[in-house]
Amino acid sequence: MGYVAVKGGTKAIEASIDRLKYDRLKGNEIVEINTILATMRTLVDQVMSEASLYAPFLAALAIKQAGGSMEEAVFLLRAHRSTLPRNYYSETVEVEKMFVERRVSASFKDIPGGQFLGATNDYTHRLLDFNLVEESMEDHEQWLAEYKKGLEGINATEIQYFPKVVDYLRAEGLFKTYPLDDTTPKDVTKESIQFPSDRSERLQVLTRGQTGAVTALGYASLRGYGQVHPTIGEVRVGDIPIHVNHPYEKNQDEEDLFYIGEIKVTEVESFVPVPVKKNDRKEELEFEIGYGISFGQNETKAIAMSILDQCLESPHGEFPTHDEEFVLLHIDSVESTGFISHLKLPHYVTFQSKLDSMRQVKKGGKTNAN
Amino acid sequence: MKRKQRTEILIQDGGSLANKLAETITTKYNYLEIIKPQYGLTMVKMRETAKKSLFYVGEVLITEAKIEINQTIGIGLVIGMEKKMAKSLAIIDAAYRASLPETKNWDVYLLQREKQITELRAKEQAGLLKSKVNFETMEV
Repeated sequence: MGYVAVKGGTKAIEASIDRLKYDRLKGNEIVEINTILATMRTLVDQVMSEASLYAPFLAALAIKQAGGSMEEAVFLLRAHRSTLPRNYYSETVEVEKMFVERRVSASFKDIPGGQFLGATNDYTHRLLDFNLVEESMEDHEQWLAEYKKGLEGINATEIQYFPKVVDYLRAEGLFKTYPLDDTTPKDVTKESIQFPSDRSERLQVLTRGQTGAVTALGYASLRGYGQVHPTIGEVRVGDIPIHVNHPYEKNQDEEDLFYIGEIKVTEVESFVPVPVKKNDRKEELEFEIGYGISFGQNETKAIAMSILDQCLESPHGEFPTHDEEFVLLHIDSVESTGFISHLKLPHYVTFQSKLDSMRQVKKGGKTNAN
Repeated sequence: MKRKQRTEILIQDGGSLANKLAETITTKYNYLEIIKPQYGLTMVKMRETAKKSLFYVGEVLITEAKIEINQTIGIGLVIGMEKKMAKSLAIIDAAYRASLPETKNWDVYLLQREKQITELRAKEQAGLLKSKVNFETMEV
């Protein structure tokens, strides 16, 4: 069964697009890009993460244009990304140089460097704050002045960099150590993923996955549709510096790199107990590490990614969350929302064919399939 | 001063120092814009901490410019939509690569600004550290 071309919708489409604009404008309110950037930080982060493009201004513009639709905003940003040249690859980012804004561990209370909460909703009452209905700039300025006053007198001249909890455990011999693996990563934006996949492909697909989809599958694994139930070793949020090599200078030393700025990420290591058979055939528990990362501050997604990373590292036929094809081919926002929403486009011929078959059966005749 | 340190100071400064230094060059030397400031992408390569392997975390929007001074090309690269800063960074890069005499005096300004930026960021971090948790074990 093939597709047929139909026409006659041009004027209707034009009128529909006008109506879309009318719906956006009819309230006589304008939301500025800077307002979105300043007040909807985590929404911007989520759009950047799912679009796999770190560009806060463009993400805010996409949110405005999409009227707040996440899937549409991600689609717009992905589409825009495809119009830009990729002229550089960064040098390998080492997260030890992160400017950490938040750092917590669910495994140890006393981690080297300590835990600090930074900005989080975790400890807020989930009650609507009706004071926000009528905020004023004067109130803001007063609050900010008082907050800054509280920071006066702080004496600090050096930035602190915090060691990874996992490195501390490795140094104690409690976790397996791995040598640096400098194998060139594969890039799913250049070459379609093939199965069995490479670890670099899995991590890239997971980190650009739709937050809801990644979270749902991670949750499914915890609930018994998988075999991974971790303890969070460390969640950290902060800015990582990005460096780029000169395109044509040869014999460059590290000090000749370009620093091009920082990006905010959330990074997670989950500790997953795994039974391992030793030489004497006795089972012992060892810990594996699940890794999660997301552009911006998106801790739920990064934690869920760390669960799925570990699921996919240990394939298990019984559970869909351990099946890389099942997980990796269904979590992309543009692919999944695109395919689902194409169902509302004309399928007249295929549906008529199904109706014809049904009519034949009801008449007692044979179906096309037969 | 080497490029890594210099570009970090100039970008963290936010652009005003870069524009000021670039202006001292453009008022004295002819320059050619080989690539006018334009937007592009940089793919970010990361090392994950579980198995120490490499992967691509995603792309970042950058602004890039290329400037030629005295037959020497300078490049300006900065994350975000920063056309003016990218051009200034390219002029400064060209000035350093061409060893223009003006650059000899710049280290003092750059180091001074680096100290200020570090103190500012250290204070910002110290503010965040006010949310540090002091665990106390409860007796039950």
